[in-house]
Amino acid sequence: MPPGAGVDIPAGAAAWTVWLAATPPAAAMRAGAWLYPGIEILHIIGFTVLVGAVAMFDLRVLGLGRELPPRALARYLLPWSVGGMLVVLPSGLLLFAAGAPELATNRVFLLKLVLIVAAVLNALAFHIGPWRVGEPWPESAPLRARLHAALSLLLWLAVIACGRLLAYV
Amino acid sequence: MKRWFLLAALAAATTASAHHGWSEYDTDKPLQLNGTIQEAGYVQPHGWIRLKSAGKTWLVVLAPPGRMESRGLPKDKLAVGAGASVVGYPHRTRPGEMRAERITIGSKTTELR
Repeated sequence: MPPGAGVDIPAGAAAWTVWLAATPPAAAMRAGAWLYPGIEILHIIGFTVLVGAVAMFDLRVLGLGRELPPRALARYLLPWSVGGMLVVLPSGLLLFAAGAPELATNRVFLLKLVLIVAAVLNALAFHIGPWRVGEPWPESAPLRARLHAALSLLLWLAVIACGRLLAYV
Repeated sequence: MKRWFLLAALAAATTASAHHGWSEYDTDKPLQLNGTIQEAGYVQPHGWIRLKSAGKTWLVVLAPPGRMESRGLPKDKLAVGAGASVVGYPHRTRPGEMRAERITIGSKTTELR
């Protein structure tokens, strides 16, 4: 059986997606009874940690939990978000590879990628922008910082919603 | 901490789950097809067959392999050339695709939902 066996290739699928779906890891994802759901479970654990840590920090910037010093909170939470990302990224790539020809044409999937890029750019803008104000972090975050935090919450929740809705479109 | 966040930011994930729900199929238009299996995938997240029926080839989406296995429809039953009968629903927008509620091969009917 060729390594790509079993993948459903819709008419008009991009050549690179067909190639990706034929790679051994993608074929293994499709073949086993428990590998695919296992990777899905890892993906879910990864994004609960990633989005959970990001959301807790965003809420602090928005003014909740004022007894917690923001800089110390960031030092604690943001490494968790990186750890979550390190789980989410490879697991997501495997899930994508297994069904790449179909997923690459799925509009919800493409929207999800755009939202992830937007969330990342938003985080960068926060960190090179309002987060760089001098010490100490102000009692009440500047308006721009709060806007970044609110946008961050919205974007990451939308990413999760898109991920789940992939199953239904 | 800025460095950490930059790392997180750069590692933008591509994530996906290709499970099909039922909502994209039109359950108001149940469909029965009898035909011959042209091609089969006993794969995650859903198995599928191409079924030639009355001169037309349908993509028939089945169930996850683990479920089919445990309900008595192992991989070798989805053999190319075998006759199969499926009851299911057509896709709302993709012509020629349907999702099967049940499949009958030989005398054995397997529920897929």
